[in-house]
Amino acid sequence: MSERPTTSEATTLEDDTVLAIEDFCVDYGWGDAAVRAVNHVNLSVRRSRVLGVAGESGSGKSTLVYAATRLLRPPGVISGGHVSLTFDDPTSSDAKRRTVDLLAATPSELRAIRWSQVSIVLQSALNALNPVLRIGHEFDEVLSTHRPGMKKAQRRERAAELLSLVGLNADRLARFPHELSGGQRQRVMIALALALDPQLVIMDEPTTALDVVTQREIVNELAQLRARFGFSMIFITHDLSLLVELADDIAVMYAGNVVEWAPANDLYGAPRHPYTLGLLNSSPPLSGERRELVGIAGSPPDLSQPIAGCSFHDRCPFAFEKCSSQAPELRVLDDSGRKVACWLHDSPADVPVALRRRPRDATRVGAQTPSNAEGVV
Amino acid sequence: MLLRRLSLYLVTAWVAITVNFLLPRMMPGNPVQQLIGKLTGQVTVQQVRAIELAFGIGLHQNLWDQYIGYWHQLLVGNLGVSITLSTPVSSVLQSAVPWTIGLIGVSTILSFLVGTVTGTLLGWFRGSRLDSLIPVATFFQAVPYFFLGTVVLLVFGSNLHWFPVLGAYSQSVTPGWHWDFVFSLVRYGELPVITIVLSSVAGWMLGMRNMMITMIAEDFVLMAVAKGLPRRKVIMHAARNAVLPSVANLSLAIGLVVSGALLVELVFNYPGVGDLLLQAVLNEDYPLIQGIFLVITMTVLAANLLADVFYFVLDPRTRTEAAV
Ligand SMILES: Nc1ncnc2c1ncn2[C@@H]1O[C@H](COP(=O)(O)OP(=O)(O)OP(=O)(O)O)[C@@H](O)[C@H]1O
Ligand SMILES: [Mg+2]
Repeated sequence: MSERPTTSEATTLEDDTVLAIEDFCVDYGWGDAAVRAVNHVNLSVRRSRVLGVAGESGSGKSTLVYAATRLLRPPGVISGGHVSLTFDDPTSSDAKRRTVDLLAATPSELRAIRWSQVSIVLQSALNALNPVLRIGHEFDEVLSTHRPGMKKAQRRERAAELLSLVGLNADRLARFPHELSGGQRQRVMIALALALDPQLVIMDEPTTALDVVTQREIVNELAQLRARFGFSMIFITHDLSLLVELADDIAVMYAGNVVEWAPANDLYGAPRHPYTLGLLNSSPPLSGERRELVGIAGSPPDLSQPIAGCSFHDRCPFAFEKCSSQAPELRVLDDSGRKVACWLHDSPADVPVALRRRPRDATRVGAQTPSNAEGVV
Repeated sequence: MLLRRLSLYLVTAWVAITVNFLLPRMMPGNPVQQLIGKLTGQVTVQQVRAIELAFGIGLHQNLWDQYIGYWHQLLVGNLGVSITLSTPVSSVLQSAVPWTIGLIGVSTILSFLVGTVTGTLLGWFRGSRLDSLIPVATFFQAVPYFFLGTVVLLVFGSNLHWFPVLGAYSQSVTPGWHWDFVFSLVRYGELPVITIVLSSVAGWMLGMRNMMITMIAEDFVLMAVAKGLPRRKVIMHAARNAVLPSVANLSLAIGLVVSGALLVELVFNYPGVGDLLLQAVLNEDYPLIQGIFLVITMTVLAANLLADVFYFVLDPRTRTEAAV
């Protein structure tokens, strides 16, 4: 705890960082039974930028964001690290930016920050909206809690305005969640998330439960809303191709580790980690061209067992001896600042072709990667 | 949904009435003679007539016509004449039924409220010291109404004199809608109500607690926290949904409470249907038994309907289902 930067330093050093996650560890369970779900993760979200987080189911994406926002429920335990949130303090007169240590914040400090600075949209809007309350009530509630000065009529007006942002008619306010379609519900959630002009909006697979067309529409809307209001965003998904249009940076998670971090286009066009490559091959391409989708062979490791070496080695088509004995760390790869946790890049000459592509020959990745075809299921 | 329930209740009511009509007519032997024999000589003409009516003897009508006639009488509120009291059953019931409905109604509502509120807190703060309430409540539920009533009566009423007992109000006040009477009513009602609430509260409490624990895992409760709502409001989000199964069970519970409440009335000498029913059974006063049976059935059905309406109001999803 002692060596971390003080509040003021943090503010001056990384002025445009909204959320800084440092050396963050999260376990499920205690003592011997503990399962490490997030393992020494370092990530930051910059102001008005979108951080995409991708990875298979169970890789720890949700755990990471819930724990970072102190929403983790038992048996989840934060077992190490720091998380700080920087935002324009609405309570101070000169609108100074303020940094709060989220892991040390008291319940009342957290309540003040929640939704007004950090809002969250969950995968299933049906479950995220209280089934017995009208949509209008959800809006009224957050507004009256965080903006006590607002009158009832103003709150209603604001709710209608928010709904119109996501293309919904104000008459939806009188509806119950089960009376809306899945896409409408998710739009309601997005509108709700923007209700208080938060600094950061977290989207935990907001489109996974929707059909492809609605998925596209919503992602496009989100991109527009983000450009218009300038909030930062963490967008969690299985589907890397969704992130390319939306995200500025992408972090790929596997078994609780960030295995690759890069600007979105670099990562999409020129993956450096075998797992990223596998993910790209298993998600539909952006452009119309058809290609065979190839799943990653095998399944994520059982986190309750200790993993020797790289957590991906037993599924990796390029694995060699070192991979099964020593765990690679996330290290800066080149001048672009992208990071990867993979032994392959230690000797540049031996890097497989698929992981060596230059960012510029981008967007076509999938079609030209026969290299890991051995694992096809 | 509500319409379906309503028709179900109507059918139930019809079956109950018909059984009520048929039962005495199915009795083997000659119950009339037996009854008249029991009344030790002082049989008046009205009594014989009442008995004959109840059993459908000496009417020289076929069963169907009797049935029609029975309905006719029922609809004008004529339930026959009590054999032992020689007064119309309807007027006997009129003086007893309000007490029972009052007692059961107040106890059930109180028990539901107390159980739901404590269950909510128990669920939210599970694992805290509040949990020690659970065995206590379960204990009271396990003790039979009758026994609990007697113990409570002896300890708090007769020995400690904390509560007035026996009857529904003090003999020194005249019944009517004035303050003294209402006060006396409340004081005398305390022990019977406490007995019924103690015996029945555990069910509500545990049901609510378990539902709360289920609800806490729901996304919308997580969202309520994420929205920075004060804890009170977060709990309400969960409780508002957790209470639904309890309300759905309300109809079921009412029937159970009735039987217990009748016993409690006996213990506390409450002037309700319980005492009346005991007398009627002991004296084999069939018209009265029939009347009580009918009234209880109808009241329970009406209470069920109320509970259903309540559920309907609380859960918007049932409303659209009904529309589909
Ligand atoms: N309540 C829990 N108890 C124990 N382990 C858990 C619990 N919740 C999650 N885990 C474990 O933590 C790991 C990470 O789960 P998490 O939900 O964060 O994954 P995810 O990347 O969000 O997956 P998905 O894409 O399916 O949402 C998983 O391996 C899971 O088994
Ligand atoms: Mg998840």
